[in-house]
Amino acid sequence: MAEKTKSEYVPNIYPGKDTVSARRKKLWDKSRPLLKYRSIAEDDITQLLSHRAVRSAYVSVHPPLEELIEPYDPIKHIVVPTPGTRAGDRIRFIQMSDSFHLPSIAPFGRQRLYFSRFRGIDTVVYSGREILEMRERDLEKATKMLLETEIFNPGRSALKGITVHGHSLRLDENGLMFDARRRYIYDKDSGEVVYIKDQMGNVLDVPVPVGPPLSEEDCKKLCLTYSWDTQPYKARTELFEMMSRSTKMRVMAGFNPEMINESM
Amino acid sequence: MKYGDKVGLYNDASQCIAEDVPIEALSPFYNPYMKDVLDLFKRTAFVNLSKLQSCLKEGKAGWETVIGQDECKMPWYGRDLPIVEHAEEIADRIRDKIGKFGDGEDSVVVMADTIIVKIPREVMGIFASRDPVYTWTMVALCQAIAEIFKIDPNTDLDGCNMLKAVVFGRYPQSITFSPGAPVSGFLKPSNVVDGLGAEYSGITVNHIVAMVNKRTMDGLALASILEEAAQWEMGNAVGWYERYNLLGYAYEGFNANNLVLDLVKENRAGMIMDVVHSTVRRAIEDKVIKVKKKFASGYKMYATDNYPLWNAYELAGTTAAVIVNCGAMRAGQAAPSVLAYINDGFTIETGGLPDPDGGRMEGVGIGFAFYTHSIYGGAGPGAYTFDHVILRGSGFIQPPIVAGMCLDSGTQLFSPEMTSSAFFKLRDMFPLLQNPLEKVAEAAEQIKGEIKKG
Repeated sequence: MAEKTKSEYVPNIYPGKDTVSARRKKLWDKSRPLLKYRSIAEDDITQLLSHRAVRSAYVSVHPPLEELIEPYDPIKHIVVPTPGTRAGDRIRFIQMSDSFHLPSIAPFGRQRLYFSRFRGIDTVVYSGREILEMRERDLEKATKMLLETEIFNPGRSALKGITVHGHSLRLDENGLMFDARRRYIYDKDSGEVVYIKDQMGNVLDVPVPVGPPLSEEDCKKLCLTYSWDTQPYKARTELFEMMSRSTKMRVMAGFNPEMINESM
Repeated sequence: MKYGDKVGLYNDASQCIAEDVPIEALSPFYNPYMKDVLDLFKRTAFVNLSKLQSCLKEGKAGWETVIGQDECKMPWYGRDLPIVEHAEEIADRIRDKIGKFGDGEDSVVVMADTIIVKIPREVMGIFASRDPVYTWTMVALCQAIAEIFKIDPNTDLDGCNMLKAVVFGRYPQSITFSPGAPVSGFLKPSNVVDGLGAEYSGITVNHIVAMVNKRTMDGLALASILEEAAQWEMGNAVGWYERYNLLGYAYEGFNANNLVLDLVKENRAGMIMDVVHSTVRRAIEDKVIKVKKKFASGYKMYATDNYPLWNAYELAGTTAAVIVNCGAMRAGQAAPSVLAYINDGFTIETGGLPDPDGGRMEGVGIGFAFYTHSIYGGAGPGAYTFDHVILRGSGFIQPPIVAGMCLDSGTQLFSPEMTSSAFFKLRDMFPLLQNPLEKVAEAAEQIKGEIKKG
């Protein structure tokens, strides 16, 4: 083994100098807190998720970890379980969909954000949706962050547990993303987006306002994707270099792993 | 010794078991413990006598799913035979028919209500496939029962048919045996294995989890022994790929240089991306990768002239990330998701160095994440075998999935207790299967001198 040197390694997070790169770098760097845009009550989050009645006890899938009799495994004593895991909560989900039109975050970006900022997660990326599964009380905590901070634009991101279609369709007359189940509406009096149904499409007894949709200017400022009206094609020099290198190196590594060398 | 790479091997308490081990000592061709395990898996059949007796009594045979075992019931052909009581006698007769071709090794053992049959090496050496595990055991079993209970077409024509149906299921009308049938083996019958050389891949994840009694690092080791052997059999470790595979499994499965455990400990309360960053930092410190270029934004591009070792580091990082994430959640379902998306993390973090297994792990991981979640349907990760068409693309995914399932605290519908309860017992029957991580290391320590001499 080569002699160890103390490295001055600082994580790269993401290449590029342009504003979109800067956005990506911020969202995926857990040392940088996300700006809070709005407050949503915990009971409202429980309602929107629709996994349990408001203020009811958490249902458990197994006894609390401390009471569980398990065969000996040192690893189970090393890794720290989340509070939901400790209590034996069920695993529940939130599914978010993000519009193509200047989104504050997109499914691939959510995955990287979840990997950087949450513990004990299970997630799957799809073209216009992203599911996040966690222990129930951990999920509620995570949802609060997902809905209250800069990554949530009430007009262009939505909770869609089912019938997710609509992320690539035209926006409606109020600038909201299409939703076949009409879970949310634009309240012209308050200027806010209001959820009248939970993520599964069940009508809520009391509608939940989630704040006003962001202005077009803010959308551009917070946009996570490259496009002609945010950061154009040529802004991505560093990213392109990294990606083309990665693609070539993957092919070479698959062909003959011993062929990779420092000049590549 | 062909390659200069040497590693230290550590157990799951981070104690060094073997130092300065050449990676060849972790090859199924040299490591005696691996050879013993593979031999056990290849030649062993199990006859569950109480299952046989109850099926025969109820006239139950030829079912096609694990949960639909009463699919075909013909109680009017049922035969109430005291088979379990005659376990020793049945075993003796099977031994007479099969054991005589061997070298004197006791080929048939009775343990409680199970007869364990080991087909002699000589027999396996002559035949082209390893199907005698099923064919010889089944035929010998049917003959033994017919002899003891005097069943023949003259005395009991329907009894003969029922016995055949219980033991063979619908074979040969259907090419598969009934799942959970009285006669079983470690490996699938060769005609249902999906892909050439994928036999050792064809073991259900939960079976491995049960055989190591849910001990995470042992799960990694046993899965790696099997999967590494499968990769050799497939031709994926020949020539150019030999060192790549040896290093990969050494770090991923056998805790080489304690890398996996170091990464887990460092990030015991951390996130998945923290493990990626720790892995990159460790690789820089160990001089596996180094900065090649710095961009205007400050973004650094790394280079390596030892990709097989960097790949091994990435695999160790991926495995540690699975352990950290599944350990925090204590749920096996999250393992495929880590395998699917951590690759992006490595590539972007290093400025485009190839991700684990050159992108194969990402491809397989995404498919696996789809298939194990309701986004596409399918089963839990524990119910899969790795000869499956969407999973056989990468040889390095089985160990972390097994680790994830070892950490599950009971959240899965397809739990090891549900799908593989019999395999918990096997661990007691075969002391060979206990503490595989330490045994691999001890065996490597034994032979390292010979390997160094060449």
